[in-house]
Amino acid sequence: MRHIRNRSALFAAISAISVATAAPALAEEIIIIGAASAQTGGLAPYDQPALAGLRMAIDDLNAKGGLAGKYKVNLIIKDTRSDTAQTATVTQELIDAGAKIMITPCDADPSISAGQLTQPLGIPSLTLCGSAPVLTQAVGDVMFGTYPADNLQATAVADFAISEGKRKVFLLTSPDATYVANLPEYFGKVFEKKGGKIVGRGTFTMNQPDFSAEITNIKGLAEQPDLIMTAAYEPDFPAFIQQLRGAGITIPVYGADAIGTPTIKALGKLVDGVVYTAAGYPEAGSKLEAFNAAFTKYAGHAPESTYEVNGYEIGLILDQAVKIAGSDDPKAIRDAIANLKDFEGITGKITYAGTDRMPIRPVVLMRYDGGEAKYVETVVPAAADVPAP
Amino acid sequence: MIAQQIINAVSLGGVYALLALGLAIVFSIVGLINFAHGELMTLTGYALLAALIAGVPFPAAVLLAVICAAIAAVAMERIAFRPMRGASVTSLLLTSFAVSGLLKVIFQNGVSARPQAVAIPGWMTGAFSFGDFTIGVGPTISIAVSILALIALEFFLRRTVTGTAMRAAAEDFDVVRLMGIPANRIIATAFLLSGLLAGLAAMLWVASRASVDPLMGFTPVLKAFIAAVVGGLGSLPGAVAGGFLLGVIEVLLQAMLPAALAPYRDAIVLSGVIAVLLIRPQGLIPAVRVQRS
Repeated sequence: MRHIRNRSALFAAISAISVATAAPALAEEIIIIGAASAQTGGLAPYDQPALAGLRMAIDDLNAKGGLAGKYKVNLIIKDTRSDTAQTATVTQELIDAGAKIMITPCDADPSISAGQLTQPLGIPSLTLCGSAPVLTQAVGDVMFGTYPADNLQATAVADFAISEGKRKVFLLTSPDATYVANLPEYFGKVFEKKGGKIVGRGTFTMNQPDFSAEITNIKGLAEQPDLIMTAAYEPDFPAFIQQLRGAGITIPVYGADAIGTPTIKALGKLVDGVVYTAAGYPEAGSKLEAFNAAFTKYAGHAPESTYEVNGYEIGLILDQAVKIAGSDDPKAIRDAIANLKDFEGITGKITYAGTDRMPIRPVVLMRYDGGEAKYVETVVPAAADVPAP
Repeated sequence: MIAQQIINAVSLGGVYALLALGLAIVFSIVGLINFAHGELMTLTGYALLAALIAGVPFPAAVLLAVICAAIAAVAMERIAFRPMRGASVTSLLLTSFAVSGLLKVIFQNGVSARPQAVAIPGWMTGAFSFGDFTIGVGPTISIAVSILALIALEFFLRRTVTGTAMRAAAEDFDVVRLMGIPANRIIATAFLLSGLLAGLAAMLWVASRASVDPLMGFTPVLKAFIAAVVGGLGSLPGAVAGGFLLGVIEVLLQAMLPAALAPYRDAIVLSGVIAVLLIRPQGLIPAVRVQRS
């Protein structure tokens, strides 16, 4: 008897709760955004800042009623552990949870594995800061890059190196990740076209402990390079440059966006003269400066890099796309993103129209000097100079 | 060029030898492959970083960090492995994976998923010319430390009572206990030594990488495992030989392999390992008594 009474009480409680939660759901529309991002593992240092920016954007937008002021966002975040297979698993979970927009990790390989699942369903998918231009082509028309693409970044760095008078480059790549494998090669293409020469190539295995053999090979080159170009990042970049300088080689090393991090900056004198790229630079009075101040207030710490603002801009892009689409239909949102032209973000104008869904946007060149990141210049490379992916 | 590559190979081989020895010492006594050995290295790295941030001078910070590793190794045995004593090899192996996984998550959530830069003093990044070629200070220190550590360990095992007891325990633990040597002391000493070796190896590792990250222990422990297996599981001279062999093969392949074959480097190294094991299934220098469950 007691047992049955309890059960009916429970039933009453459950129905009360479901009525309570169902009521507001009728009043406003909810759109679910799934974020498959690395909270642990090698990609976490990149995914997390980008995701922090996106969360801030979602909070700001939700305070104004949601995407297009109408669709409150429910952001569901799942950990990919920096693992490509795990990324596919959590993407499927997010799709099952009803995600209409998918956010994927900062690297091509896991983003492509997520895209394999979202493409057949037509769910627009945006990588947090994956920048390999092959990434969108490998998946199809639902996949969008957000960060300046590798070939765009490489062109900016190559133009700069040529303008400095550099003519002989050594390219250090690793076949283990698309970014690390291809970016220096894009650089090489532009560099050669503009009168430079590739005097040697070397490869490494990501996370390899020792670069001494590669460094000895560089030392033994008949024609010494005046520049080493690599897209290695943490922890390989610190290891490489530590061992390079330790072997008495003073040739400058240039890289790209993945070395624009507090860890690399904290290497101090070791990275003096290293040139890298960013998605923006907070000049006095700029929108980015205001964003950085707002982010600091939001997160309790200053942005580590431009991945935060890039994440925030993803929120703005989605807001704009839903405004244009006028609905939360994934296909309409996808079409709206694909046709964005000169959309005013925080770092500058962002254009998808006429691209392979890798945006055209400004690239900022930066240089480490005495433990500080110094601004060099902002460029938008000529489209004709950018090598094909 | 060749001379330079030989120095590179010896320098890397020395670190591998230290790591493999750390695994082998514990295996020879308790039959456990401690896959959390790499996390001892990570812990040492963070200890060094913390000491440097606290303003401890570099040499003292290094000493502190290595001591930290030794204490951590003993604590690991006391907390995780002693309750499992006498368990099957598989259970021990799984316990070590659990400890390793747990520590990784603690590092990621407690410190940061992002690698932390470690300020290595400028003089360690220097290089000096020696006749025709330049030798980095880093590799020199690496070689010197490896050799000194190997000599010190050999001395400890040959010339002290505990050392002798440990060598005996590696051959037949039961008889050693019948002689009145406490098992706990032998096992704790084995972990202490493996912790010291992990600490030293971690210092050399961090000095050449300039950063510590939560996952940094994985690659070294894998290499150490390969080296220990090639050398002969549980055999200390074997671990040293395996470590140096692995270092030499890796550096030579990196140096000599044409660019088209470079991506297959690891595959070639591991094929070499299989070849060695086909010819000598017990390893290069087999242990006197291989422990099996």
